[in-house]
Amino acid sequence: MRFIDARCQLGRRCVIRENEPVTKAEILELMDRCRIERAVAYHAIAKEGDVKAGNMELLKDTEGDSRFLRQWVALPHTFGEFMSVEELLKGMKENSVSSIRMFPKTHGYSLKPYALGKFMDAMAEHKIPVFMTYNELASEDALYAMLTDYPKVNFIISDVSYREERKLFPILEHCPNFHIGTGNYVVHGGVKTMCEYFGAERMIFDTGLPTGSAAAAVSLICFAEISEEEKTLIASGNLERMLSEVEL
Amino acid sequence: MNWEQYIFEGKPFEGIYIFDVHGHVGAHKPFQLGGYDADSVAKTCRRMNVDGVVVSSLPALASDWKWGNEEVAASVDAYPGLIWGYASPNPFYEDCDITPYLDLPGFVGVKIHGDMQGSTPVNDPRYFPTYEVANERGLPVLFHAWLSAEVRAAADVARRYPNTKIILGHSGMTARDTALEVARTCDNIFIDTAISSTYDNAIEVLVDKVGADRVVYGSDICFFDCIHTMGKIALARISDTDKEKIFGLNARGLFSL
Repeated sequence: MRFIDARCQLGRRCVIRENEPVTKAEILELMDRCRIERAVAYHAIAKEGDVKAGNMELLKDTEGDSRFLRQWVALPHTFGEFMSVEELLKGMKENSVSSIRMFPKTHGYSLKPYALGKFMDAMAEHKIPVFMTYNELASEDALYAMLTDYPKVNFIISDVSYREERKLFPILEHCPNFHIGTGNYVVHGGVKTMCEYFGAERMIFDTGLPTGSAAAAVSLICFAEISEEEKTLIASGNLERMLSEVEL
Repeated sequence: MNWEQYIFEGKPFEGIYIFDVHGHVGAHKPFQLGGYDADSVAKTCRRMNVDGVVVSSLPALASDWKWGNEEVAASVDAYPGLIWGYASPNPFYEDCDITPYLDLPGFVGVKIHGDMQGSTPVNDPRYFPTYEVANERGLPVLFHAWLSAEVRAAADVARRYPNTKIILGHSGMTARDTALEVARTCDNIFIDTAISSTYDNAIEVLVDKVGADRVVYGSDICFFDCIHTMGKIALARISDTDKEKIFGLNARGLFSL
């Protein structure tokens, strides 16, 4: 089974725990250990420091490296702080960046159409998937509002814990553009349950490397009580299909 | 043992003794659990070649202690030799005596979750009668140990009752360094691996700091699944001997199985 990780962070972050991987070499060692072929990667500086500079650092850190699929972090284009939507799309095309990650809570902006409408229209038009962690959203209602405000954008929401099913299952039922990153989805039998209710197409393998566990993430899929076809979709198929549909 | 082959072929480990020191049965009010009855827990354990799991009842910890302990007794009865029981006291009931449960076959220890019981520190004297029984019998006591204050309260119990075997659930989680510190100073403290979200190389830190003899496999099933923790241990950069100790050999000694 081929694994492609939909959530990996490169670069030096502010806080690290003892023995936690930091360098690209350490991340690659873990990817090898856990048989992860490639990873969608954004840069730590783009999250924690300077978004534009972090996106440029990503280009440098992944230059000539086919193990990483480039992902940029985006801000709303407000008053000159970040590139315009047109500049963003041009930059993505020129630098083989195929997806976007957003941190609305960390970076402090609204997801409502008055702030992000034009940006999300472009994501929909160019079929660019948008990634977020669940803790970047204020609530399940904020998630539902975002999914219904932008029904043509594919969202991958990761770091969904074992405590969220009551909140998220009704949203999965109503919002086909909602996909769950599997990395921290450790519900007892949860992957199987999700497949039964909503189909394997709604799950996308991710690890959260280097702060998440790749070993745990691959085990959740390998040991899940689902078919090989479903495992393949989750491990790489769904993400590859989504990225292949991007039009830049 | 080729751990990677088992994982990537999705097959349960073979030829290794696996004993889970941290399990539950029963529903939990704040959120939906996966299968939480004894049948569901036993099914997963059998599917993953787990030789035994010790469970407490979530309702015993957070609701009616007697009703919950009866739930554990029924689970142990239904799956003898596979599901073992923790008895859980409630500090708010003077008439709460869990000794009759500890007298039942298949009950092998005590589980206490002070945070679920009104944030009661586990070294509150109202728990002492339970510890006295555990100390007299040399039983393991599993604590929910998340915060530094919880770890230190558990260490206080370990010092007061040296014949008990204290298991710090969740490796202290946000207070891991405190958990490792108290484990180094109290020989009767052990650390379990039940963490939903952690990083690769964290198991290695536990083994490096306190030795593999003091680390025990705990999954927190059915609170969450057991399979991700199995993978973290199996793919850790530690020796096969250490993995076997963590997966079950240490627990065999702890629970006198």
